Amino acid sequence: MATAPADFVFETDAFRKAYGSIVALEALSVQVPRAAIGLLGANGAGKSTLIKGLLGLLQPTSGSAVVLGMPVASQGPLIRQRIGYMPESDTLPNDVTASDFVGHMAEISGLPPRPARQRANDVLYQVGLNEERYRLMREFSTGMKQRVKLAQAIVHDPELVFLDEPTNGMDPQGRDEMLDLIRKIHNELGITVMLSSHILGDVERVCDYVIMLDSGRLVVADDVTHLRQTTADVVVRIDGSIPDLLNALGKRGIEATQQGSEVLLQARSDAEFDAVRDAVVEANAALRALQPRELSLEDVYIRTVSGLDAPVATQDQVAARGD
Amino acid sequence: MATNQGPGPTADETLPYGEIFDRGYQHYAGQRNGRAYAIRRLIIYSIKRGLGIKKRWTSKILPIILYALAYLPALIIVALLAFIPIEDFDGLGFDSLYGVLELVILIYASALAPEMLCDDRRERTLQLYFSRPLTRLDYILSKVIAMGILMSTVIFGPPLLLFLGLTFADDSPARYLVDHIEDLLKIASYGILVSVFFGALSLSIATFTTRKGVAAAIFIIGTIMLQGIALSFYEAIGEGRWRGLLVFISPPDFVDSLRRWLFRVDSQNSMYASLDIPGAFTLVWLAVVIGGAMYLMYRTYLQED
Repeated sequence: MATAPADFVFETDAFRKAYGSIVALEALSVQVPRAAIGLLGANGAGKSTLIKGLLGLLQPTSGSAVVLGMPVASQGPLIRQRIGYMPESDTLPNDVTASDFVGHMAEISGLPPRPARQRANDVLYQVGLNEERYRLMREFSTGMKQRVKLAQAIVHDPELVFLDEPTNGMDPQGRDEMLDLIRKIHNELGITVMLSSHILGDVERVCDYVIMLDSGRLVVADDVTHLRQTTADVVVRIDGSIPDLLNALGKRGIEATQQGSEVLLQARSDAEFDAVRDAVVEANAALRALQPRELSLEDVYIRTVSGLDAPVATQDQVAARGD
Repeated sequence: MATNQGPGPTADETLPYGEIFDRGYQHYAGQRNGRAYAIRRLIIYSIKRGLGIKKRWTSKILPIILYALAYLPALIIVALLAFIPIEDFDGLGFDSLYGVLELVILIYASALAPEMLCDDRRERTLQLYFSRPLTRLDYILSKVIAMGILMSTVIFGPPLLLFLGLTFADDSPARYLVDHIEDLLKIASYGILVSVFFGALSLSIATFTTRKGVAAAIFIIGTIMLQGIALSFYEAIGEGRWRGLLVFISPPDFVDSLRRWLFRVDSQNSMYASLDIPGAFTLVWLAVVIGGAMYLMYRTYLQED
């Protein structure tokens, strides 16, 4: 695979990973721009496999991946020097202080001892651990451990950080604080973030770009705003008979459903909107409103996963939108 | 955040030392080192962990006891050298010191190897190491080197202390050093070889469990059992000259034969003296065991993520 253009943080080409007869990732081809990226999917969808594949921690069965312009197959250690990773599971040693451990991880990422210690303290402070950082981590709550995991992922100032289920096991307040931190890491510190989660609300709150996986297959990879627009419902309100309108829409090949006093349908092109207008006329109704209703990411996920009908943005489309 | 490291305030100033400032997250533009540096830092970190440094006081007890047991005999001999003429020390040479150290070496290897590996696997810290520039082989190499360095402090350190004591107890230390430089080389060679041998063996066993006690027990019991099996077969075989080959399945006896070969010690009293094993063959077996142990570790760690 050719080196990725600088504006793609990573790209995969038919990246496939199978464990015997079980396929964890099915020929994934995607090009992802620098953004706050959400990686969505149910448990077992292939999110962690994708992250480990991009880190070079597992060999693909076939296909390839390029991260930060470097091929994973041959440049794994170099890539990992510029990447941060916060794993899903509890990975912290018990009988070490947070400060010592994060400093050690900074050293393993290549920082000399003194800057490593200083940055460890800086970053732990930034993630909200003050004097606690000098305590053994066996005494830490789940939320504090999550913060330490985040700190070790960004202590070496990576360009890209993978966060695997960062809000796991956290209470609502801790979750809010963690999501704010992640947003801050991207917006204020300029670190590209890929947030893997099965909680759609978390991704919706933090991310600009979303990759949806289902059973190892790529369902959607697109800009969140664009995705919401393209999958949005159109709401039609009329003075007149709704069954007549549904009938008229049906004749024009437009699927629509009644929801209370409104009719919901999907229309994207001018021709489709014209057809809706004509159907209203045919139903002898007065058109009171014809307006789009933006879907939540959850709606989009449910709709796309069940129908697998949402488009994957092509490289040209992404470039044309200026991502 | 950083501590205030500027010039200290004068008495009438109110700014205290150690005040914490939030200077925010800053991008790092300094030096970034590569894999070799990461390996070095992991070696140093592993050595500190092995010694119980920056851990609870209970973690320091065993290393302190073992170091005391390892160095005490050599220290006593060196102290006695101040009062007793060196000529009277015929029976208290390096060979007898190694005999005393044998048990300490076994216990230290059994305790240290799980300390090096088991925590990282049980606490899943490996995921964090492998998300860094380190490869699996780098990780294993770091642990073997750290283990080797620590083992050599009990295998190489006490005889070195004794050697220095003998040197300075001599009427002419410089002449003694020149005359016995070969002994020093033998002590160093033996220290390195046996450190890596026991280090690789015990580490390869610790690779298969996340429980430190289990790993230590398997190593100790396994070693004793192998020695027992070798001895049983040796006696069962009777007079056959080739029964001496059994030395290769018993780690303590193999190390013993290595020492006898290296130090040219009379083998008449050795249980396996029936076979005069060529030194090169001993070294090849050493390399096979160390290489095999490292390969076993590598294979196991390939499955770790």
